[in-house]
Order: sequence, then C-alpha cells, then structure tokens
Amino acid sequence: MNSILVMTKKELKGFYFTPTFFFVAFLISVILSLLYPVHFSMFAEGLQMAAPGLSGHQQSNIHYGLFLRHLSYLNLILIFIVPAFSMKLLSEEKKMRTFDLLLTSPITSWDIVLGKFLALSGAILGIMLLALLYPVMTTLLVNKIHWPSLLLAFGGILSLSLVYAAMNLFCSSLTESVLIAYIMSVVLNVSVWFVGVGVEAVDSQTARQVFEHISLATHLSGMVEGLLRVQSFVFFGTFVGLFLFLAERVVESHRWRAL
Amino acid sequence: MVEVKNLCKDYGPTRAIDQINFTLKKGDVVGFLGPNGAGKSTTMKIITGFMAPTSGQAQIAGFDVFEEPLEVKKRIGYLPETPPVYPDMYVTDYLQFVAELKKVPAIEIKKNVKIAIEKTNLGAVANRLIGTLSKGFKQRVGIAQALVSQPEVLILDEPTVGLDPKQVLEIRDLIRELKGDHTIILSTHILPEVQAVCDKVIIINKGRIVAEDSIANLGRLEKGSSVLQIKLRNPKDLNSLLSSQSGVLQISGSLVDWEIQFDGKDQVHDEILMKLVQTNSGLLEFSPKKLDLEDVFLKLTYGQEAKL
Repeated sequence: MNSILVMTKKELKGFYFTPTFFFVAFLISVILSLLYPVHFSMFAEGLQMAAPGLSGHQQSNIHYGLFLRHLSYLNLILIFIVPAFSMKLLSEEKKMRTFDLLLTSPITSWDIVLGKFLALSGAILGIMLLALLYPVMTTLLVNKIHWPSLLLAFGGILSLSLVYAAMNLFCSSLTESVLIAYIMSVVLNVSVWFVGVGVEAVDSQTARQVFEHISLATHLSGMVEGLLRVQSFVFFGTFVGLFLFLAERVVESHRWRAL
Repeated sequence: MVEVKNLCKDYGPTRAIDQINFTLKKGDVVGFLGPNGAGKSTTMKIITGFMAPTSGQAQIAGFDVFEEPLEVKKRIGYLPETPPVYPDMYVTDYLQFVAELKKVPAIEIKKNVKIAIEKTNLGAVANRLIGTLSKGFKQRVGIAQALVSQPEVLILDEPTVGLDPKQVLEIRDLIRELKGDHTIILSTHILPEVQAVCDKVIIINKGRIVAEDSIANLGRLEKGSSVLQIKLRNPKDLNSLLSSQSGVLQISGSLVDWEIQFDGKDQVHDEILMKLVQTNSGLLEFSPKKLDLEDVFLKLTYGQEAKL
C-alpha cells in the first residue's frame, strides 16, 4: 500500500476510533445547537420587521441572515479545534520516540507529512459534515435554499481550515510539547484573521492592496457569497503548500540534528 | 552484508564516534560493547539511516545508507533504546501498521504479524492496548516490531533492558534462534549477554573501536602470564616452598588460600603441581584462573583511562 495512505489510515483510526474525537464533536454540536436556533428565530423575526444595518435584500436572504453567521461561528470553533486535533500529530511522535520508527522505515518525510495532513483533513471534514447537518435540517422548514452557493461557502471554510491544518501541523513539528504546539497553533490561526486589520491601518495604496490580497478573509468572503474565484484557490493552495513544505523540512532536518 | 568505513559523527564540538570501521557477513551475530556514552547508539542510528554521519560511509546489502536510504530501510529492523510503540494502539494493529510501513507485501502481512507475535510470546496480550502493558511486554512489542518485516539485518539497541531474568533468557534464546537467517547487531553493556549469544564482539570506547574479534580470541587476549588458584588442607608457606621455582612471578595469599602468578609455561605449571603433591600439602584445589570477557572489557575500556 502507498506509504502516504498507510500513514493516513493509522492517524484516521487514531481520530475516529477514539472517544476523544466524538466527545469534541459532541461539544461542538452543543455549541452550534444553542446558537443556530437563536439565529434562526432572529432571522425569522427580521423577515417581519426590517432591522437597521442590513439592506432589505440581505435581510431577507437566508444565506446572509443565517448560514453566514453559522459559518462564522464554525470558523471560530475551528480556530481552536484544529490545533487540538493537530497538536499531537508530530510532537507526540517525537516525545514517545516513535519518530525513530518512522524515520527508519522506508518512507520519505513527504509521506509522513502528507499522510498526517490528509488524516487531519479527514477529521476536519467530519466536523464540517456535522455543521452541514444544521442547514440540511433547515430544509424541513425552508424550501428555497440555493445549494450550490451554500456548498461553496462550506468549501470556503473547508479550504480555510486546510490552511489552519497545514500551519498547525507545522507548529506540531517544531516542538516535543503538545501544549506549546497547541498555543503556537492558536496564535497563528488567530493572527491570520488580524492580517486583514492591516488594510485599515496602512495609508499607502500599494500596501493596502498587498494586505488585502494576503488577508484570508478577503478570499473567504468571496466564496461565502457563492463567488468562485480561481485566485482564491491558488492563494489557499500556496498557503497550504508553504506550510507543508516547512513541516517536511523540519521532519527531514531530524536526520542532521544531534538528538 | 554490513560495511562501515571511516564513520565519524560530531555533536557540535564533541566527537561522538571517530573513524569506525567494520564489516559483517550474512548471518553474523555481533555484540556492540562499551560503557555508557561510548557511541554505540550513535553508530546504530547511522547504520539504520536515522541520522546522517558527519563523514564516512555505511552500506547495507550493497546500498549506501545515505544515497539509497529507502532500499536500506526496507532491509533493516531496528529496536531503538526506547521501544517505539504507540500507547493508544492495539498490539496486533500496531504490528500490522509497522509491516505496512516497512512495505511488506499485502498478502504476507497477516502471516508476518502472526510469526512475530509467536516468536516474542505476545499471544496473550495481542488484543490489548500497548499503553496498558508492562515495561517488559512493551520491550517485547518493540522486538516484534523489528522482526515483523523479516529484515535481513536486525539492529537491537539494548534489547534486554527492563526485562525480568526469565524474559532476558527468552530474548537471548530468541536471538540465538534468529541466528543464521538474519545478520544481527546488538548493543549492550551487559557482558554475559554478549557471551551468551554473539559470535563476535566489537568493543567501543570513547567513540573508537578498541577491540574487534571473536569471543574466544578476546578471552585469549591477555597471554604471557597466568594465575593459579590453589587451596590446601594443610597450612603451608608457599613463599618459601616456591621461591626457588623458576617462572613464578608473584605469590600471594596465606595459610591455605594462595594465588600464584607464573609465566604461563606448561612446564612451570607441572613443576608447581609436583612440588605441592610431593610436600604432602593436601591439595584441594588447583585451578588456572582464566581471564574472562569482563577482565578484557575492563582492561580495554577503563584500563586505557587509568594509563592516561
């Protein structure tokens, strides 16, 4: 079997065959189940009387009024949950000395990193499917849902969380301590959102454009609105590629270290 | 099978191993012997491809560990100092995972896992989480992991650490059983272990090979003088009795227990014996004390430091 898949299979089993994952999924569903009905009823009330702030068009659109909020909460949860899934992937290997096994097996550093990344994506996908249940259940009450744009919005959050996954895997490769890996990951994930603030902070037109382009939020907002832009995919792709490359370098560098 | 040439490894300014050379044939069982921090583990890590050497070469089955690491890694089974086990996996699942990692053909995986479990006597715990096992069992899972790909070269870093005496014997039997099919390198600082299972010993101290030979040859290393241990029934002063005897170098002891160092010639040996019998000393014990591996080891490793 392909070494990447061997790695992925092992880690996926580690996620899905342990109670921890299901406990986390349960907690997430508790949070979402508390918030979703609240937003739903707010949206329903909003239909009757126009609320200030939103234009009439956005007001009456369930994608803006309900699903977008749902997704932004999902994103907030993922900022903290993806690090929890990723933190042990490489750092624990080092701590438990199982890294010795991986590095003396006939697999490359890329096999290790990609295998773990795929497994992590698999775990995130599980959480996404859980979150997707809410809009699906909404179809019982609302029959005018534009599925392609909703799925594209989910795809946007998914690609964003793949960026988290790659960054957090890189964090995990840097240290032997899962706690440090977790904290580093959360800080990186949160700071990704702060890059966007730069747009307002700078005066120069060029600097603003640069910030606008590297801000994940800019790229995400397009997808959430159902706008599929190739440059966004390229952007997310390069982010993921960069951090996977860095993680691979760290794993490979172990051969040269005095440990 | 294993060929190591001028291997060096620096950890920053300190040189961990220095110009190590040795060659092993297929089926050799070699003991790496040395005090703590002598460079045993470092050498092993380089041979397994875990670490890159600072300079020098290592080849396994004709493949350079640095140029073609994947080919080398397919052919080795490695047990590091700490068994590389995942506490949250079941023993069977873990061995299957290792077999897949080591690119064992899919149809042989089940069979190999079964054999590895049988050989290391893990049958009773095969369906338990590794995290719940005792240290000795974890060590055995580590050994099973090294065996599961049926590698040509087995590299075991202190395989019997943490095992109880019965398990130690079992592991030694196992290693003896594996002899012939596999080339085995094992490191240890326990001397009887080497004597029990190895054909060949490489003694390392401070990163250098200080001796490399078969066990029998190393035992004979210290020639030129021998020691006789003598026990008598009737107290006698051997100082006066043997002082005139040629070839005797040193006499120590008192009354009934004596130790005589002589030049090792058979004739001197016989003459001393004759004298003791003729003087009616009531000879109870007359045994040449052989230098064992332990003495050689201490002499080669600590003796050197004493000289410096």
